[in-house]
Amino acid sequence: MKGWFEWAYRDMLSFFPENVSTFGAQLDGLFSFVYWISVLIFLLTYFLLIAFIIKYRAQPNRKSYHFHGSNIVEFTWTILPTFLFVGIGLFSEDAWTKTKYQMKVPKPDVEVDVMAYQFGWQIRYPGPDGIFGKKDRNQMSKMNLFGLDSNDVNGKDDIIIENAQLHLPINKNVVVNLSTADVLHSFFLPNFRVKQDALPGKWIKVWFNGTKAGKYEIACAELCGSNHYAMRGEIFMYSQQDYDKWLDGKNKTMLELQQKMKAEQEAATAATTSDSTATTQGS
Amino acid sequence: MSATSAVANNHHDVHSHSHDHHGHDHHELSFIQKYIFSTDHKVIARQFMFSALFFLFVGGFFALLIRWQLAYPGKAIPIIGNLLPATWVTDGVVQASFYTQLLTMHGSVMIFLVIIPLAVGMFGNFCIPLMLGTDDMALPKLNMFSFWLMPPAAMITMGGFWFPDGMAAAGWTSYPPLAVINGPGQTCWLIGVFLIGFSSIMGGVNYITTILNKRTPGMTLFRMPLTVWALFITAMLIVLGTPVLAAALSMQFFDQFLGSSFFIPDNLVTTKKFVGGGQAVLFQHLFWFYSHPAVYIMILTPMGIVSDVLATFARKPLYGYKAMIFALMAIAFLGFIVWGHHMFQSGMNPLLGTTFMLSTIVIAVPSAIKIFNWLGTIWRGNIHFTAASMNALAFIATFIIGGLSGVFMASAPIDIYIHDTYFIVAHIHYVLFGGALFGIFAGIYYWFPKMFGKMLNENMGRKHFYWSFIFFNLTFFPMHILGVGGHMRRIYDPYIYDFLKPFQPMNEFITIAAGLLGFSQLILVVNILWTIKFGKKAPDNPWNANTLEWSAPTPPPHGNFTEDIRVYRGPYEYSMPGAKEDYAPQTKQDIPSEVEGEIVDESMFKAH
Repeated sequence: MKGWFEWAYRDMLSFFPENVSTFGAQLDGLFSFVYWISVLIFLLTYFLLIAFIIKYRAQPNRKSYHFHGSNIVEFTWTILPTFLFVGIGLFSEDAWTKTKYQMKVPKPDVEVDVMAYQFGWQIRYPGPDGIFGKKDRNQMSKMNLFGLDSNDVNGKDDIIIENAQLHLPINKNVVVNLSTADVLHSFFLPNFRVKQDALPGKWIKVWFNGTKAGKYEIACAELCGSNHYAMRGEIFMYSQQDYDKWLDGKNKTMLELQQKMKAEQEAATAATTSDSTATTQGS
Repeated sequence: MSATSAVANNHHDVHSHSHDHHGHDHHELSFIQKYIFSTDHKVIARQFMFSALFFLFVGGFFALLIRWQLAYPGKAIPIIGNLLPATWVTDGVVQASFYTQLLTMHGSVMIFLVIIPLAVGMFGNFCIPLMLGTDDMALPKLNMFSFWLMPPAAMITMGGFWFPDGMAAAGWTSYPPLAVINGPGQTCWLIGVFLIGFSSIMGGVNYITTILNKRTPGMTLFRMPLTVWALFITAMLIVLGTPVLAAALSMQFFDQFLGSSFFIPDNLVTTKKFVGGGQAVLFQHLFWFYSHPAVYIMILTPMGIVSDVLATFARKPLYGYKAMIFALMAIAFLGFIVWGHHMFQSGMNPLLGTTFMLSTIVIAVPSAIKIFNWLGTIWRGNIHFTAASMNALAFIATFIIGGLSGVFMASAPIDIYIHDTYFIVAHIHYVLFGGALFGIFAGIYYWFPKMFGKMLNENMGRKHFYWSFIFFNLTFFPMHILGVGGHMRRIYDPYIYDFLKPFQPMNEFITIAAGLLGFSQLILVVNILWTIKFGKKAPDNPWNANTLEWSAPTPPPHGNFTEDIRVYRGPYEYSMPGAKEDYAPQTKQDIPSEVEGEIVDESMFKAH
């Protein structure tokens, strides 16, 4: 029974998960603004409804008031809600432009690519050179979800994280380029008040600015198949120092990996050359 | 069966009134022509009612399986768990793939096979000819066809049942690419819903034709009851909107079956390969262009029913009759330019988000007008509480909450967070269950005596109302809280997320309330079956109502009216000052006054 009735005695607004983004407070503020207006309208209309039901319940000797309504009254209760609701709309506009308009996305301090797929998220950092490699849709495959162009050197050092863990610094404008490799998904960061559907064949910029270090969750909010529920990711927010340390570590591993691969490749080429020489000699 | 025999008895009555020319043909009708492939609008209304009530329980069963999984993920379903097919459950536990089928079919069944057939099919057929004082629909054969398309369409919609991949599993919204890469269950769903849409269009065309052409003399448009007005506007929404849905479904069918790519971009990393550059968002635009008006298709008729029921039981003219009609028109018109509010987070241009936010928020105005006018109707009335009027009052109560929660998601930035969470689920159930279904219940309790010639058991009716109203609120109100907590919809196991773990007890509570809500609906079925067998015979006008259907014999014979009728006034002239009775049937020219022998001049009480 514990927790069964939590909805009944706790204020609705207290159920929001902790907000850790800069614009989150504005969005939550907007929610509570509409919430209190709704509570007011709710109390007013319910008061009238219940009062009328009690006061005008059937009594044998009473006759109803024969009245068809009045234009002035109709006019009033058309105009007042119009102002109220349009007001709410205009009041919301600022937050919407700020969070979603693609041309108003701030200059990124950190930029990452996020590719959704059935059923997970892949994340790409630009790597030691700081430049994302080119993408080519024709090269997209299960092994290469981003469709990295194999001819582009800038892409060779890109860091791809396959376990859906996003690492970011706090107090920086983060821009996520979001897309999906297969069906629709929706990139949902509850604590950051971010939600954006990922569209196949299209890259959408999603931005936020985290304010508090810690570990948070990434969820998928658009039905994407049987394991939709299991598209859980994690987002780690660090101070700039810790972030740099993490990123340097990744970059270093990437460089080492690259050198190792290069060496192996050279060795392999050398081997094939000697092999082919041997074959030529043999024939 | 005794209801049908009551109808049969009445045929003889009609026959004795030799001036009814219908008496001659239908004496020769066989049982099948009379009760199965009937062109009589009243029989078709009953057919819609029984089929939709059957599907109400199918959809409800799906909902309860969903609820069980959310409250107790990984636990076997009690009692029936082991009886379900192995493709649905393993050891009695719902499988993830079946869960997505469940949520898809719950939505599809409830919307396409329950609410629309009840609100539009049943009441449209029953009320329009009777309330307009005519013998039948303008196109009775089309009418019959519109019903008989439903059973095969329903079978096909759920046809995936026969395939190993199961039923459709892409949500009732069927968004591509997911829907397109899904299996044959999805193809069945597309064809089934296409046919249901076809049935809707045939009904809609028929309603418009009937209302425009078959009104009895004196029945001007502005003397029509609100139910008929609502059905008229609903029919226009159907005729304008449903073809667009049909187009969207056909295009998706081509994508899925013939390999075209209207909605699918190239090089997807999926098992099915597509060439050509389609746009996934295009489907959403087409789908919501129909499906947003569809919400009004489901709610406008219940709004009309509530208006009629409230005026009758408050014994008072409807407040602002014309304002109510204009509000219906405004809702219908605005309904066509707000579809984008379903797509704020879909990746369409955010500039459009701004436009749709403003149009959406404006649609709250006519809804508010309706609420105020209903309150005005019961103000200074003399409200009689019956199962019908209590359900109508409950409609207002829940529609206020559903309307207010709509304002949250109409604001695009607020929608960012609550989109695709349980806040939306709560909202749609407050509007469609709390709103549409309570309105439909009010209509069933109100017109049942006329439909079947028997009075529903009032005691059971009240019990059904109280239990439904209480458990409805206990089920769906807490869902707002889940939504504020960020609980996504359509997830099989919420508790793999740390931030959703604390909501397990609340989900458990909701599930128990939902179960009881489901069981309370059995009271309605028992009541209907019991009444048909043992119910008290209904008088012609049990509620002392004004509208024309109450001037017909109970139940109305084939051809409805036994004498020529004329309409002399509007439908809501209750409690006229100076009149002896507190009602003034639309068909009666002279209203007896309080003082014996004197006649009140009808012209004094013209409808406004």
